[in-house]
Amino acid sequence: MRRVPTKWQRALQIMTLLLLLAVAAACAAPAAAPAPADGGGEAAGETASDMPAAEGTFTYWGGLIFSETANQMLVDRIEQWGAERGVDVEVVMINQNETVQRVSAAIEAGTMPDALDVGRTFMDLLAIQEQLEPLDDLYAEIGDSVGGWLPAADESTNPDRIDGHRYGIPFSLGGNVLYRRADVLEPAGFTEAPATWEEIADMSRAAQSPPDTYGMGFALSNVGDANITTTMLQAWGGRIADDAGTTCTIDSAETRAFLEWITTAFNDGLFPPGATTWDGAGDNVAYQSGNAIFIANPGSVYLYMRDEDPELGDATRYSAFPAGPAMRVAPVDANLRVIPTSSKNKELAVDLLKYLADPEFMKEYYYHAIYGPAAQGYVDAPIFTESPVHQGLLDLALNGTFGSLPDVNNPALSEYQTNFLTPRMIQRIVVDGVSIDDAIAETQEACQAIYDKYNE
Amino acid sequence: MRAPAPFTDIIMAEQAAPAIPSGETQRRRLTLSQSNALLGYFLVAPVVVCLLVLVVYPFLFAIWISFTDRMVGQPGKFVGFENYLYLMRQPSFQATIRNTIVLVVSVQTLKLVLGMGIALLLNQPIRGRQIWRGLILLPWAMPAFVAFITWKLLLAPQGGAINHILISLGLVETHVDFLSTKALAMPSVIAASFWRGFPFWVIAFLAALQNVPKELYEAAAMDGAGAWARFRNVTIPSIRHVVLVVILLSTIWTTNSFEAVWLMTQGGPSDATMTFPVLAYFGLQSLRIGEAAAVSVSLLPVFGILIFIIAKMLQEEDA
Repeated sequence: MRRVPTKWQRALQIMTLLLLLAVAAACAAPAAAPAPADGGGEAAGETASDMPAAEGTFTYWGGLIFSETANQMLVDRIEQWGAERGVDVEVVMINQNETVQRVSAAIEAGTMPDALDVGRTFMDLLAIQEQLEPLDDLYAEIGDSVGGWLPAADESTNPDRIDGHRYGIPFSLGGNVLYRRADVLEPAGFTEAPATWEEIADMSRAAQSPPDTYGMGFALSNVGDANITTTMLQAWGGRIADDAGTTCTIDSAETRAFLEWITTAFNDGLFPPGATTWDGAGDNVAYQSGNAIFIANPGSVYLYMRDEDPELGDATRYSAFPAGPAMRVAPVDANLRVIPTSSKNKELAVDLLKYLADPEFMKEYYYHAIYGPAAQGYVDAPIFTESPVHQGLLDLALNGTFGSLPDVNNPALSEYQTNFLTPRMIQRIVVDGVSIDDAIAETQEACQAIYDKYNE
Repeated sequence: MRAPAPFTDIIMAEQAAPAIPSGETQRRRLTLSQSNALLGYFLVAPVVVCLLVLVVYPFLFAIWISFTDRMVGQPGKFVGFENYLYLMRQPSFQATIRNTIVLVVSVQTLKLVLGMGIALLLNQPIRGRQIWRGLILLPWAMPAFVAFITWKLLLAPQGGAINHILISLGLVETHVDFLSTKALAMPSVIAASFWRGFPFWVIAFLAALQNVPKELYEAAAMDGAGAWARFRNVTIPSIRHVVLVVILLSTIWTTNSFEAVWLMTQGGPSDATMTFPVLAYFGLQSLRIGEAAAVSVSLLPVFGILIFIIAKMLQEEDA
């Protein structure tokens, strides 16, 4: 006779089933092994029938920039590619300040996109971690189609720096341009762009009128913008590390001279209040509210003024970074598109990267974005003659100093910068009141501890 | 709901069960208590599995990672206490310990004293009591991002409302740079953290106060106890349980709070407001998960001691 299950037995059966399902879901086998990238070699005009079917949805992570129009252009372009290739596409625009966290989490969780935008230093870190596909052939192919890469873009993927391969396709070059308030400076007798950092301090002293205006709108806080102080230090002849990129050389007479200058400027009240705790938008806000006379900015402030405050835009002049006592350092670096090793759609990703490199699209994109060109074929975009800030960005792309030169661009230097050790050295003096010698000694020790990790 | 029977009961029930007659059926029947016990275990099994997967595994994994040189995407190798020794050599780490203690102790003390005071007030038959009880929840209901950005704007040296009020009242002659002055940055973060978190304390205390029998107060009053004596001898013992649990939870939340410091000061000026979560965040920026995990795990002994003390006090209470 068939026995009727009791209440608890039924519950037991259901629970067991649920548990088995949960275990099965958790232990599900990972996706099939990814196809190799860079092997397709397809021409830039593929059709849906030429391309392999996408495994799942093709995902792209774009870097969010200040121009909504430029962001939307990228999304539309990728979606257009998806429609033409018959690929289901998802474009996620992520805040560039959160790229490191998002990508780190995605790597650990195995949820990386099929392609994404990254900055050059982060690309280096990911490549060292073997998270990126080598793109040597694709780099050469796209380079040919866009008239050749500009030297700084070429340097950004220098195979000697990682392990003999190129891991990214540059799509823009960026860096800071010096903004100055001509309507404040000219009445004080300053009609030309400052030629040196010392001149900036002198002009600030003469022209500023606290608490309404302060001269030097440069961040000194724990944010990326404050790493401009490393550029200044280099302009004074200071170096983070030696030519081998292994031994820190913060403790130098040049560093002392630079710290004497900048702390004097701070103590003279040339920096706006709050500069030691500004967030990433602190300098933007200071300039846009009329509170700062000089700032360093890639172009977001220009876009704001163009769209929201033409009067301030008319009163603004742009120039390259000035020189220090030792040299002129005007850092320029690349933004690149990369393909993770975990991508299940590498062939499609390669095709998309070719599609995005199209000069006509890029010239239109640069009009709305705040970047300099990465390739010769992009240089003749009208915006690089029409807009003063884009002229500055073009000048930077052609003549700027790549990355962290004169220092050696390596992961140790990237970690030094992400720990904001130069601005923190300045904070120790102007906030904590420690001596310049003690601040240098502390920073030298912290810096060497970082470099030692990579020297092992 | 009945609790599952302990294993000893099941064993005793098995021993007491009559022998199965041979040839009748080979399947052994469970007693009622065994059946109930098993059902109980299976009903709690999903929760146990969830806890193991979502809490215990990540917890143990984080501890393991902190002893490795793991970077994002790389398994890393065991390095013993190297990450902890590296951290201890950093001036930021020492400042972080100091700042975290100052922040947590100050905020919790403020929340305890003012939260209790406000809860006692709202427990009285005051006019518009229900409205006040609703309004008091607003800071807690507000998203942390909005709350702390608002505080940052209020404290801004130029255009900030607090500076405007201070200057208007003649209390200061020029603007005060609350967030960039070393001596004022931490008090500012403490004020904002207190403001955001105190409603939880008020509501928890208020709920506990409403459960204190009125007869106890009446009896105490008849014995001649004044307001302070009633508070000390009736109120405090009656709500002690809730107070301890709230202190424990809030301490853990405040210690792990990231938004307040990050949105207001990014740990600065210098290291004046650097706390453990912000330091761990900086570690992650370099993809060094091992070091970042070591920052977080170094808090565990503190939490462990705190939880032990409070659990002990609660046990004594129960006993």
